Amino acid sequence: MTGIVIEGAARTFGTVRAVDGVDLTVGDGEFFTLLGPSGCGKTTLLRMIAGFCELDAGQIRFGTRRIDTLPAHTRDIGMVFQNYAVFPNLTVAGNVAYGLKARKVAGAELAKRVEEALALVQLAGYGERWPHQLSGGQLQRVAIARALVIRPQVLLFDEPLSNLDARLRVSMRAEIRELQKSLGITAIYVTHDQEEAMSVSDRIALMQSGKLEQVGAPAEIYRKPASRFAAEFMGTTNLMPFGALRPEALRLAAEAPAGWPRLEGQVAHVEMLGPITRVDVRLGDGGIVRAAFLDEPARALRMGDAVALAYDPARVVALP
Amino acid sequence: MTLSIPHQQRLPVVIGALGFLFLGLFLLYPLFSVFSASVLDGEGEKFTFANYVKILSRPFYRGAVTNTLLIGVAATCTTILMSVPLAFALARLPVPGKAAIIALAAMPLVLPSFVSAYAIVLLLGRAGIFTQGLNAIGIGFGSIYGAGGIILVYTLTLYPYVLLPTMAAFKAVDVSVEEAAQSLGSSPRRTLWTVTLPIVLPAILAGGLLVFIETLENFGVPFVLAEDMPIFAVEAFKLFVGETAPNPSSAGVLGVLLILMASLVLLVQRRFLSRRRFATGARSAPPILKVGLGLKVAATVYCWAVVLLALVPFFAIVVLSFMEFRGPVLHPNFSLANFEALFDRAMRPLMNTLLFATLAAIGVTLVGVPIAYVVTRVRSALASLLDVIATLPFAVAGTVLAIGFVVSFNSGWLILTGGPFIMVLVYTVRKVPFAVRSSSAILHQIDPALEEASISLGRSPLQTFGRILVPLMLGGILSGFVLTWVTIASELSATVVLYSGQWRTLTVVMFQALEGGGGGLATAAASTLIIVTLVPIALLYRLLRRYELGA
Repeated sequence: MTGIVIEGAARTFGTVRAVDGVDLTVGDGEFFTLLGPSGCGKTTLLRMIAGFCELDAGQIRFGTRRIDTLPAHTRDIGMVFQNYAVFPNLTVAGNVAYGLKARKVAGAELAKRVEEALALVQLAGYGERWPHQLSGGQLQRVAIARALVIRPQVLLFDEPLSNLDARLRVSMRAEIRELQKSLGITAIYVTHDQEEAMSVSDRIALMQSGKLEQVGAPAEIYRKPASRFAAEFMGTTNLMPFGALRPEALRLAAEAPAGWPRLEGQVAHVEMLGPITRVDVRLGDGGIVRAAFLDEPARALRMGDAVALAYDPARVVALP
Repeated sequence: MTLSIPHQQRLPVVIGALGFLFLGLFLLYPLFSVFSASVLDGEGEKFTFANYVKILSRPFYRGAVTNTLLIGVAATCTTILMSVPLAFALARLPVPGKAAIIALAAMPLVLPSFVSAYAIVLLLGRAGIFTQGLNAIGIGFGSIYGAGGIILVYTLTLYPYVLLPTMAAFKAVDVSVEEAAQSLGSSPRRTLWTVTLPIVLPAILAGGLLVFIETLENFGVPFVLAEDMPIFAVEAFKLFVGETAPNPSSAGVLGVLLILMASLVLLVQRRFLSRRRFATGARSAPPILKVGLGLKVAATVYCWAVVLLALVPFFAIVVLSFMEFRGPVLHPNFSLANFEALFDRAMRPLMNTLLFATLAAIGVTLVGVPIAYVVTRVRSALASLLDVIATLPFAVAGTVLAIGFVVSFNSGWLILTGGPFIMVLVYTVRKVPFAVRSSSAILHQIDPALEEASISLGRSPLQTFGRILVPLMLGGILSGFVLTWVTIASELSATVVLYSGQWRTLTVVMFQALEGGGGGLATAAASTLIIVTLVPIALLYRLLRRYELGA
């Protein structure tokens, strides 16, 4: 088990600086997520660690061992791909055994470890099936088992859930997190979905234009965004003259503690989403403020109603 | 200083270097020899353009240029006119027996066209069976020799080049585009002309250009049918064989001109057609149109008539090979004498054909598949250059490449003339573009993440190539192998330049029998060739079906 150290990693494609001088330390056993919009460099950085992308400058170490100069197949990494990359010419068991055979594991030891890995991803008994007989979720489980079974130093996930439907995504991400924690393998996870990132990660690195925008625990980045980009990427944000304000920091003035600053306006739009109700309020100066309240049956808000909001001054974040 | 190559690119770099080496030595160097032969004097010493002036000032050779081009254009037009309605009928009309029609329509691609030409002579030529029969009842018709007969044979043998891509294009048309046109008030007929045909036009033109290039390079058909009419590929061969000076300058001039014409056409294709590809996001093939009984019957008759007509000459050859010939004259009695004459003297030509085709098909696979891997997986200027060079043999007539080989490898450090390997090498180089094209098509279907998964699991790039890519490509590689094998077995244009002594092939036997007027021997050789061609195709077909059912 190993921590990962990235120092000054850089890569240019043509005129685009895909990764522009990234320094990063990932702790032993940590679940670390690279988050950002498409083209921010998160996948390139992951592929640098995997060995599929050369560094123009900088270095990457697993613990004290420098690995960016090693060929990809000697780096001892388990990687899970966006489109599963399950070998269609091998059975489920054949896929899981692939990396073990490359490591000269054979016989009873091989069979035992393949079975254990399949049980771990809840595919016990699926060994003889062919990939084309499996669903997308099952294929991704095969890919995860295949990556885990070699007991790699590092696990890499390249948007592993983006091809699955919404419900499966939510249950799989919890499973991935649980597996990683129980095995204690250092993991780097790439996604563009901030909710997914927040749900699985110990820490998140938010990236933009090849650079790290902010690194921190999910709650820290959400509550204390270091920049306007970070504030907006992590969730709906009201950019007010006095700072950034999350929708849930607002309440109806009537329901708020006394002493919270007030904002007055007209209801422009109401969305009832079940547990929460989202309300857009047009202020006197024409600007829109987005608020979100927990559902309250007695409350009635209609478009055009005059409304007074109040916000928690402690949750205003000043942006540079 | 050491040359530093990123480790994940070492395999492509090594393959690419070997590819450049092979194509440089066995393609570019012979072509350069043809070029230098054309600009040196008869002794091969002084630089001169006099050869070009000499050739182009003779009306005979200027006529060869015009004849070749005019016949090519005419055959391309007739092929398109015949194939587009056929493609439309097979893609969109309710024609019974489609699978059979399509299978039959693909056959002329692998059957040797000069056999078809020879059959036409036996049926409709001066002493042909039909000619004599019709003359006996007082009906005469024009000569089958010359441009008319050549265009007829080209149309009947090359039409699949237009049919198959056009049919695929008709099937790939997104039907919602047609529906949009009709909802805007366009009649079905107008929609066909203003929407559907423009969408498939690039496919039609791409196929047409293939036909045109094939006609430029074809040696066998004009050799059988042209008689006194000068045709480029034939005249290049005659000049080369008849050349007495040490340097074959005149043949070199014709060779260079032929390459230039074909390259020009290829260039036009790459420039214009690659940009005019209309991606239609069709999720499923458009539905079969509902048409009246009259149109349905007409379409059915037309489809069957075309595919059967194209195969009649081959069928006729097989029948005729079991009849008695006295010299070139046919007598309608059953006889095995032709085959006895063919195999009594020696089984050697048949064995040579099988051996050369097998060796060359192995060579083509070993060269073509790795090059396709580099071309599809590496984005760099060198990879593109390799792609262009690997496509180049397509623009080089077999006759010309063979002349280049003879000039390049008849002296010096590498002598190949007179042996069997020169033929195997020329066949290999000629078919490399097909292997690269077909392998690239398969590789584009294989997600590169599969290779990365294998590498991250601990297999080196080379092991990954062998353990993941080769198994996944196997079906495609196998069918490519059989198709190459079959087309090499009936190769004529390079073979007639290169064969020597004991290394004669079946096509050479047929060629010599044609020259010497031995009709019986020629038909027996042609029949054997047809069987040698069709048996592997049938086996492949069965094997692939079992493979698909098993998977």
